[in-house]
Amino acid sequence: MQFEILGEITEVETFASGSGIREIARLRRIYGRGRWRKRKGIAQVRLSNGSTHLAEIHWYEAAGIGRKEFKIKNLL
Amino acid sequence: MMTKSRSKQLVICVNNEGYAVSLEKRKLYEVLRDPVAEKNGLLRVVDESGEDYLYPKTLFRSIALPLAVKRAVLAA
Repeated sequence: MQFEILGEITEVETFASGSGIREIARLRRIYGRGRWRKRKGIAQVRLSNGSTHLAEIHWYEAAGIGRKEFKIKNLL
Repeated sequence: MMTKSRSKQLVICVNNEGYAVSLEKRKLYEVLRDPVAEKNGLLRVVDESGEDYLYPKTLFRSIALPLAVKRAVLAA
């Protein structure tokens, strides 16, 4: 991850799961089989330039595998 | 159409550390204009999910292609 999440992620929700995730084949090949979900939430993030922002972040998550590839959708 | 392909930017991924599902090394990606993100060292890139996310500029290099090739790549 190329940024740091500061504190809690709020407003967490699942917006895609299983075959509803376009990149599901890549997820399974790289991280393993599981009940993958694509989730989103709001968190304070610190970028590599040191600045902090409230941001909408998305990530992939599966039970037993954990959270993978936190990505910033928007700086709020 | 000509103006549109001129304003769009293509970059090549040179580092996908932490983003093995979302990005592939040596692959071309389309960049959408986002001045706020760019001020913070980020690029808005359409990744393997088909959605645009903010990634550090350091993961990519700009690539200049002949206009006809660029148009074909963006249309593909």
